[in-house]
Formats: sequence, structure tokens, C-alpha cells
Amino acid sequence: MTTIASEYGNENNSVPIEHRFNPYSDNGGTVLGIAGEDFAILAGDTRIVSGYNIDSRYEPKVFDVGDNIVMTANGFAADGAALIDRFKSAFKWYKFDNNNKKLTIQSAARYIQHLLYGKRFFPFYVSTLIAGLDEEGKGAVYSYDPVGSYEREQCRAGGAAASLIMPFLDNQVNFKNQFEPGSDGRVKKPLRYLSLEEVLALVRDAFTSATERHIQVGDGLEVLIVTKDGIKKVYYPLKRD
Amino acid sequence: MNTIASQFTQSASSRLQSEYADAQRDFSNAPQLNLAPTIELPPISQPTEFLRAHTDDASNPDCKIKIAHGTTTLAFRFQGGIVVAVDSRATAGNWIASQTVNKVIRINPFLLGTMAGGAADCQYWETWLGTQCRLHELREKERISVAAASKILGNLVYQYKGMGLSMGTMVCGYTKKEGPAIYYVDSDGTRMKGDLFCVGSGQTFAYGVLDSEYKWDLSVEEALYLGKRSILAATHRDAYSGGSINLYHVTENGWIYHGNHNVGDIFYDIKEKEQSFNNVDA
Amino acid sequence: MDIILGVRLQDCTLVATSKAATRGISVLKANDDKTRILNTHNLLAYTGEAGDTVQFAEYIQANIQLYLMRENDTELSPKATALFVRNQLATSLRSRKPYQVNVLIGGYDTKTDVPALSWIDYLGTHVELPYAAHGYAAFYCSSLFDRHYRKDMDLEAGLDLLRMCVKELEMRMPIDFKGVYVKVVGKDGVRAIEL
Repeated sequence: MTTIASEYGNENNSVPIEHRFNPYSDNGGTVLGIAGEDFAILAGDTRIVSGYNIDSRYEPKVFDVGDNIVMTANGFAADGAALIDRFKSAFKWYKFDNNNKKLTIQSAARYIQHLLYGKRFFPFYVSTLIAGLDEEGKGAVYSYDPVGSYEREQCRAGGAAASLIMPFLDNQVNFKNQFEPGSDGRVKKPLRYLSLEEVLALVRDAFTSATERHIQVGDGLEVLIVTKDGIKKVYYPLKRD
Repeated sequence: MNTIASQFTQSASSRLQSEYADAQRDFSNAPQLNLAPTIELPPISQPTEFLRAHTDDASNPDCKIKIAHGTTTLAFRFQGGIVVAVDSRATAGNWIASQTVNKVIRINPFLLGTMAGGAADCQYWETWLGTQCRLHELREKERISVAAASKILGNLVYQYKGMGLSMGTMVCGYTKKEGPAIYYVDSDGTRMKGDLFCVGSGQTFAYGVLDSEYKWDLSVEEALYLGKRSILAATHRDAYSGGSINLYHVTENGWIYHGNHNVGDIFYDIKEKEQSFNNVDA
Repeated sequence: MDIILGVRLQDCTLVATSKAATRGISVLKANDDKTRILNTHNLLAYTGEAGDTVQFAEYIQANIQLYLMRENDTELSPKATALFVRNQLATSLRSRKPYQVNVLIGGYDTKTDVPALSWIDYLGTHVELPYAAHGYAAFYCSSLFDRHYRKDMDLEAGLDLLRMCVKELEMRMPIDFKGVYVKVVGKDGVRAIEL
């Protein structure tokens, strides 16, 4: 073991000096995924922050990772990029080794659990979402915690403004606490699939509202829409203050 | 010397023999090695302290990575098999991360694992346990016993003792030779067999109701209701438990799912029928 | 905290262990047996860190049984068994992750027809004693043993002594330990006995 002189002149330290290891930061931003009957969307704002500085107004964080699957990993940008890189490279090898076999969204979802849990003791600081279509052609969104616990859901918000957007989604997508008019709060509003137009309107409302109340959200909104015909990208400006 | 002993006794008589033994050992270890996951560690001298500083909500409330905790789960043995009941809430600090978590992992048609503590730890290692159980079936041409399955999980988590895994689980199942069996396994390496367990932050509330009305001779219908009612009691008193209740019944023919019961939907019905929860106005 | 007690009598050794298995504020099990039979005339009782206890006890048990197979069913004497266990704990203490387990070993030496009792803690301290206890139980029972133990006690007298201990523990200990399991290690091996 190396010996390093301490600040007390000729007193010697028998262990190497180790500074507190802090490999994490928070780059803000927020993401949102909603599944419809025959489509799914993943949306994210395009702002990058560090502390109170805005480092970029357009840095996309939702990606087409192949086979009609879109993915985002929001939180610490470097970890998010690393995770998506790992997925893309594994995807490439999967296609190469398996005669170009289509990667189903269930398999992609399980694989991402392994990517995240593979760093259980040195986690990726991200909330991860993927979206696509399942084997019946129905929209699917999978969400993860930083170490890989996952669940398929109809909708999920992640990142800085998750706590602002998620209750809105519960109410507007899953009709939580909505009742049939005149039933005195006894008959729940029945669930139904939302159309793409309705979903896009919800996403835009969610992000404009989050922009109003969260300093790390704003500048632009990029939405990736997955249908059986492929992935479409749309951009809407958000307030830049 | 008998054959069992000779397997474990080193004979240094010939180099060739020992080389052969080594090769054979490596070979028999190889399939397990391939399946065993590799987990990265931070490149510092005390990885466990690093993890605690960044993920432990209790010792560092400002920590960035919040790992989901808090739960109520229960399982008990009775005349008609086993009842398993769990809530469905996942929390990260004060934030309710999800109200729709599936806390019963279907290891195979005869085995269930419950989930309390770290969501990812339970989900990951119990699905891993599923693969180990399947491998056992393929190798031994026989379904694994609940004792053996729970011991695989128990030994696995014991290897990681002190590294910060957090799980409290019940492995429940039925085999011909054991009958219905429940094993409690947790991340400090405890593994014990029992008739009745409640695990999680709401365990005390569930025990309260369950112990007061539990009898071995409960009918299946009564047992399922008691399981559901005990979790309801816990969701009512424990802020970290809630959402909905998932119910299972384990019989000699495997487990049967008895549905998802939303707490918000059943609370007032049960209150009215039982004339209970008199702390709450109608 | 778990209770383990041991008493060496005229022609056998008694070992008593509490039945409760407690995690946090809940008693998860009221019929937990904190002993493992090592061979026909040696019994290991344990307390300590959750998880470590059973892993250590079963590791010792397996190795003692392996010895039996290798050596043509020659049993290790109580003394040799205790020294083996002590050595394992002492080695473990100097490793990265020591077993935090305290044990009592009740034995009966079939060659000399002498019962034996060993007290070993996780640091590898080993003492042969006429009576012993680990943990909080030792604070209550040591004085009681000092006062009432006699060298020439038979089984019935030994059981009476244990009854006194359990009565005292039930009266003064703040936590219900759900009673004790009592095992007798004598000439004919290990058997359970109702207190």
C-alpha cells in the first residue's frame, strides 16, 4: 500500500487518501409515456440543467432504439446516455446473433431490468421508460426504478416533474376519482382507450403546466409516437424562461 | 470409505487424478456460473458505505436514488392449504411511486414468492429463483420442494449479506411430500418454516387481525376473507401500505388467483357489513 | 435476545434454548429450535446475528458429519468438537466478514463416560464450564447457578435447576421468549425433554 505524507509534516498516513466519491449529478428534465389501443408515445422536454444553469435548450433524450421500441432514461444525463448505449449495443448483437429476429417489447423490458440490476451496488441514477407495441399490437409502456424493478402500465411520468404530472395522468388517463354525473360518486367513469389526438393534447397540457411550475422543465417538447407503421417524431416549443 | 465421503475427500495420490477432479468440478460449476449474474461495484474501498450514502433514505434523507420500500404481505397455512395476501403500494420516501405493484411473484404453477422491502431485489432474485427451480426440474425430473427452493434463495441472499440488499419474502408452495409449506426468507439470511407470517411495514396491523381470528379449521372462503381483511387493516393504519389487495390460494393442484381488490372500492362495503372501522364516519 | 443455557450434570448435560424467533418488534415464530445435533453425543446451541447463526451451525454440522464418514464412524470427542468449533470461529474472526455467533456445546464423552459443556463466543473464547449461558440470560442465571448448582446433581435435580432459571427469566426479562426447548445429551445420545 502506498504511503502518503499528511499535512502534519513528517507524520505518515498508512492508507491512501480517498476523497468522497460522488459520481452523480441531476440534469433535470421530465419524461412521460402513455399507451393507447394501437399506439404508444414517449415524450420528454429538451432542457438540460446543472444546478441553476441551463446547459442546453435542445438535447433530445427520447430515442428510437430499434424494432419499433422507444426508450428514455431521465435523471443523471450521463447515466441515461450510458444505459441507452448499452441497450443499443446489446440490441445490435441480439440481431446479429439471432438472424435478425424481432426483439419483442417484453424481452426488451426484461433485458433492461438486467442492465439496471447489473449495477445494483453502483446504480444508474435514472428513471427509465420504454414504449412500443406488444405482440397483439396493443400499446405498451414499461417503467423502471433506478435498480430495475419494473411494471407494465398505461401511463407513467418520470423525472423532475413526475410528482406534478403523475396525478394529472391518473385523473385524465385512468379516470381516477372521476364518476358518472348524477351518480353521487357511486358509479365510476368507465375506462376507455384514448385516441392519439386526445393523448397528444394531454401530453402538451402536462408539459406546458410542468413548465409553468418547475424550473428544470421547459424549452421544448419532443414526442415519439409508435404505431404499427413506425415511429414519428414531433416537436412543440415550450416556454424558454 | 463410502461413496459419498469419497466425493468430498481429496486424494493427492496422483496428479492426473486431481487434475481430472478439478476439471470435473469446473465443468459441473460452469452452468451455474453462466447463469449467475455479475454485478458491478463502485471502484472504491467501501462499496457498502457508498451505497448507503446514495440510496438509504433513513440515514440520508436527501439521497438522490430512492429505492422503493414499505409493504404489507401475509401468508398462512390452514386446513384447506395456504392463503397469500398482499397490498400493492410502492413508496419512495413520501412519494407513492405506484399503486399497482404486483407483490406476488409466480415462481411456477406451484410456488409463489411474496415481495417486501426493495422492489427490484425481490423481483429480480425471485424470478432468478424461478429459473433455478426450472433447472432443478430438468436435472432431477421432479418438482423442487419448497424447502429446497427457499434454501436456494436464502443462501443467495446470505452471500450478499451486509451489501445492502433489502428483502423480506415468503416462499409458499405445495409438494406431495411436504404438503402446503411456507418459508420466511429475509436479506439478513434468516430462513424459517412456519404456519403464519406477516412481513413489511404494516406487519403488526395485519398480525393484529389475523391472530385474533385465525383457526386451523377455517373454510377456504373464510380464510381468503381473513387474508383480505388483514391486509385491509394494514392499509388502513400503515401509510406505506395501500392501493389494492391481491389474493391467492395455494392447493395441492397449485395456486389459484382470487383477484385484485381495490381498497377504495371494498373499504366501505366491509365497514358496513362488519359494522367495523368505527373510527371512520360512514 | 435469545436465551441459551447449559448445565453439566452427574451423567449427562442439559441444554435449554428459547423458542421465540424475533425480528424487529414481532415474534415471527414461537417454536424455533436453536440447536443442531453434530453427532450422536454432541449438540450445538447457538445465538447471535440473524442468518449467520443457522449458516454457521449447519456448516459445523456438515463438517462434523463429513469427519464421521471419512473416519469410519469414529466420533469426535466433546473436547475435540469444541476445539474444532472454536478454531472455526477464531479463523472467521480474522476474515473480512466474521460469523457473529455465540455457542454452547453439550457433549458426552463415551470413552471416559464424562459429560461435558463448552462455552464459546464469536471471538473464539472457549471455556469448559459446569454451567453456562449467553446473552442477557447469563445476567440472571449465573448467580442462580452459583447458588444452587451441585456437582452431584442427577437429571431431575438438573431439570429443577432449569425450571428455577426459566421462572426467574419469565419474571424479570421484559420480553416473552415463549418458553424453552430442553435437550439432554447423555450416554444414549441426544433426546428432547419436556421441562
